Amino acid sequence: MCGIIGYVSNGERDEADGDDSDADGGSAAGATGATGGGRALPVLVDGLRNLEYRGYDSAGIALVGDDDVDVFKEQGVIDDLDLPESDPAWTGVGHTRWSTHGEPTDANAHPHVDCTGDVAVVHNGIIENYDALRDVLDEHEFTSETDTEVVPHLLEAELAARRETASDGGRIDDGTQFQPGAGTDVDLVSAVENVVDRLEGSYAIAVTVAGREEAVVARQDSPLVLGHGDGANFVASDVTAFVEHTRDVTYLEDGDVARVTADGIDIRNGGAQVERDVERIEWEAEAAEKGGYEHYMLKEIYEQPGALRQTLSGRVDEVAGDVDLDLDLPADYLEGVEEIQVVACGTSYHAGLYAGTLLEDLADVRVTVEVASEYDFGGGRNPWKTLVVAVTQSGETADTLSAMRKAAKAGARTLAVTNTVGSTAAREARDALYIRAGPEIGVAASKTFAAQVATLSMLTVYVGRRRGSLSSERASDLLENLRGLPGAVQQLLDEADRVADVAREYVDEDAYFFVGRQLGSAVAREGALKLKEIAYVHAEGFAAGELKHGTLALVTEDTPVLTVLTDGARPDETLNNVKEVESRGAPVIGLSSYEPASNYLDVEIPVPELGLLEPLVANVGLQLFAYHVANELGRSIDKPRNLAKSVTVE
Amino acid sequence: MKAVVLAAGEGRRLKPLTNRRPKPMLPVAGKPLLEYVLDAIVDAGIDEVVFVVGYARDRIQTYFEDGDDWGVDLSYVVQEKQLGTAHAVAQAEAVVDGPFVVLNGDRMLEPSCITGVCDRLEADGGPVMAVTRSSDPGEYGVVELDDDRVVDIVEKPREAASDLINAGVYGFETDVFDAIRATDVDETGERQITDTLSTFVVDDHVRPVRYSGLWVDVSHLWDVTRVTGRVLDRVGGTHHGVVEPGARVAEQTYVGEGTRVDTNATVRPGCSLGENVSVGANAVLSNAVVLADAFIADGAVVRDAVVAENAFVGPNATIVGGESDVVVGGDLYTDVTLGAVVGDNASVGGGTTLRAGTVLGDDVDVEPGCTVSGTLPSGTTVRRG
Repeated sequence: MCGIIGYVSNGERDEADGDDSDADGGSAAGATGATGGGRALPVLVDGLRNLEYRGYDSAGIALVGDDDVDVFKEQGVIDDLDLPESDPAWTGVGHTRWSTHGEPTDANAHPHVDCTGDVAVVHNGIIENYDALRDVLDEHEFTSETDTEVVPHLLEAELAARRETASDGGRIDDGTQFQPGAGTDVDLVSAVENVVDRLEGSYAIAVTVAGREEAVVARQDSPLVLGHGDGANFVASDVTAFVEHTRDVTYLEDGDVARVTADGIDIRNGGAQVERDVERIEWEAEAAEKGGYEHYMLKEIYEQPGALRQTLSGRVDEVAGDVDLDLDLPADYLEGVEEIQVVACGTSYHAGLYAGTLLEDLADVRVTVEVASEYDFGGGRNPWKTLVVAVTQSGETADTLSAMRKAAKAGARTLAVTNTVGSTAAREARDALYIRAGPEIGVAASKTFAAQVATLSMLTVYVGRRRGSLSSERASDLLENLRGLPGAVQQLLDEADRVADVAREYVDEDAYFFVGRQLGSAVAREGALKLKEIAYVHAEGFAAGELKHGTLALVTEDTPVLTVLTDGARPDETLNNVKEVESRGAPVIGLSSYEPASNYLDVEIPVPELGLLEPLVANVGLQLFAYHVANELGRSIDKPRNLAKSVTVE
Repeated sequence: MKAVVLAAGEGRRLKPLTNRRPKPMLPVAGKPLLEYVLDAIVDAGIDEVVFVVGYARDRIQTYFEDGDDWGVDLSYVVQEKQLGTAHAVAQAEAVVDGPFVVLNGDRMLEPSCITGVCDRLEADGGPVMAVTRSSDPGEYGVVELDDDRVVDIVEKPREAASDLINAGVYGFETDVFDAIRATDVDETGERQITDTLSTFVVDDHVRPVRYSGLWVDVSHLWDVTRVTGRVLDRVGGTHHGVVEPGARVAEQTYVGEGTRVDTNATVRPGCSLGENVSVGANAVLSNAVVLADAFIADGAVVRDAVVAENAFVGPNATIVGGESDVVVGGDLYTDVTLGAVVGDNASVGGGTTLRAGTVLGDDVDVEPGCTVSGTLPSGTTVRRG
């Protein structure tokens, strides 16, 4: 999965633009550097930097000129790309890659071009029938191993066929007038429409052709959003690519093919013109900068108190013992619900595990939590009495979307819990509940996990109160805990220096085991995942009670054990497991609010009292531990190897 | 022209409020002191700012990030060990390449002070120092002027030779960094900027800029409520959050986002409530500053007090308020208006009485029904005897 960006602008054309015959040669050269340069290059490069969290093993841009398209692409990050100081282009596309087909090499990087070099394409997604298409294109020359490369060649063939027809006095171009170049006599949009009709799989593509001040884009199962600027328009996989230029966006839908010019955007679907809403992005763009911190992830860990206040603001009413979530789930529907299925991946799955335990305990409803890639609706369940909750930070995770669609297809009601307004999950689910954590740039999730659990806790109260299965007293207890959550998290953060010391002490171990019970086991899994993701060390999280059924064989004095000993995590029973590993010499690091444990812990990090949310607070200690171990080991924390944020391939 | 803001210090005189946050992050009417400083810098027309940070810098960085909310290009320089104000200024050497202004991150002042210094710096070169009148010059660096030259600077003299003090805003050229290196350390092993300035004074080189606008320092715990009241007087109140029917929250108060004031509670003019604060039914707040996440339970009475982050004041607890004598850092201050300071995460049990002048450190736990006075260190537990 990758990030793509396109930019089309009318810009001011400087007379000295690349014109060697200028009288005062010296100042013309200077002018070219400053005002004669087109905006495409800087805008695309900046945009790609903001998209890099989607993929960063190679990058490239294509700048559209009158007679050709200049392509610069290389393996490596965007900042290492060998680019000119300036370029006169006002139109271009860019790409940052997370490899799926073909290794990260210069040749496999996007943009990909056709045999003439006049067509440049960037793509996010997987074209499943690319092999068959390559066979059909056997007269074309391929330079890469990618699935994407079939697209420019298909387009080349399509354009060539149309040019033949046009010069036979056939079709008339209905586009804008500009200087002659390759293919101006053909309708690029319908050419692209024909090409994408032949593609199977997922794609968000952006196409540019030499001599044409436009980009044609198409979307199927991969996110693509348009930005409406002043004298310029944008398209990208994600709003962060261009949000500093415009906050007016349009999310494309599957099957959309759009023509983006400097003056406007036309969208078609199924051959017919369609209108799509323009929305305004409200969240603050500058949240996507490191602000004095060494890594986005550390900044996001420290942002948690503020983010959580945002998540809760205006939604919690302890006095009434209820929440206001702006949701439309009717009480009689909820009363009749037999099961809630939570589907998610990775960290979101762990948030789901936390929620599942809370829902069963407080809302008295049967809950199953499933890994989205494994999900199928079946087992004799009644779809009209099953609520399927999809948890996805980005709202674009392909596995989770797929699961949600299966559920909807079977007739179940869906609810998306997400951080991204207007995302595919939010739009496709029957209802959407936002976690309001603000953008998260670090690839490994930190603040969004906390915000997801806080939001799902509020959902628990919502469901429980409406089902009549949760007393206002117990509801108020949880809501009081929620209100105390930001302050409790801040307390853990104030212990960061100590956790950093602990991390330094235990940085060089064979493996790390994270154990807990109930809510603590969800957090144990999450703690282990964080350490794996960013430190690249072997870590495993599981239910504490399972230790003696196998994993204990791996426990030695070189395998620290991290554990959660708090409310909601059966600390008394977990303490027995602590003793088990202690007797095998393993150092035990405990996130604890349970006094009797003190004597058995090599390291005790206190967790403030907060009822069923204590394990969530304990998790902050595990985030800091993972961060500092990774930092000691010199890892690339914001961009872990082999990973990308928001995995939009299945 | 860049502005370098010194925000690395611990602010020891304001403990326990500075146990977990640096002094520049103390909130006054909903904004940290440092934000008032930044606002003044922005209004003075400067858009490149460097924060010298150190102690608890995560609090500053998380709040200000890259400065985009204020339209400035904000960068950070870390002073790893606090070795004096001159040492702090020296941290900025790598990021300034011309004349620059230096300010303290914890003094509120008007933009005219900054523009005055900038103008003088550009016209006559540096160093430039802003001076202002003070009613209590002995607390600060007293400055003696001879017409348009500074002739002496004396830190905290017992007998002040004049009413003019160092306002803490300086203009320097890059030669100051060499001068800093040549400055001797003082008896605590630190390098102070006023000592560096004294080396320039000797050559009649320090140019004063007389400033007579607003100049507010929060030096002591009892200044927090007083300054909050003054600021609210000047700028008026702002209400976010939820106020239940029957509660009376005066207009001239600050109420943060997500905060909730329950039925029949009273919040008098001059009070400030941070984000996510809970004020229970029938509680009364008078000349009180309450920081984020704190919880004031039903019926509590909080007068002339500062309740820090995530602290708990139990049902019907009474912070009596009024004047008393308080000892800070070995010095006795008499007749100051300070009901109490309740430190971060501290808990004051229901029915407890805090006598005037009580200072509870962070994480202090006072069980219900006690009567408390004096200063209690962090983590203390108080039980009824």
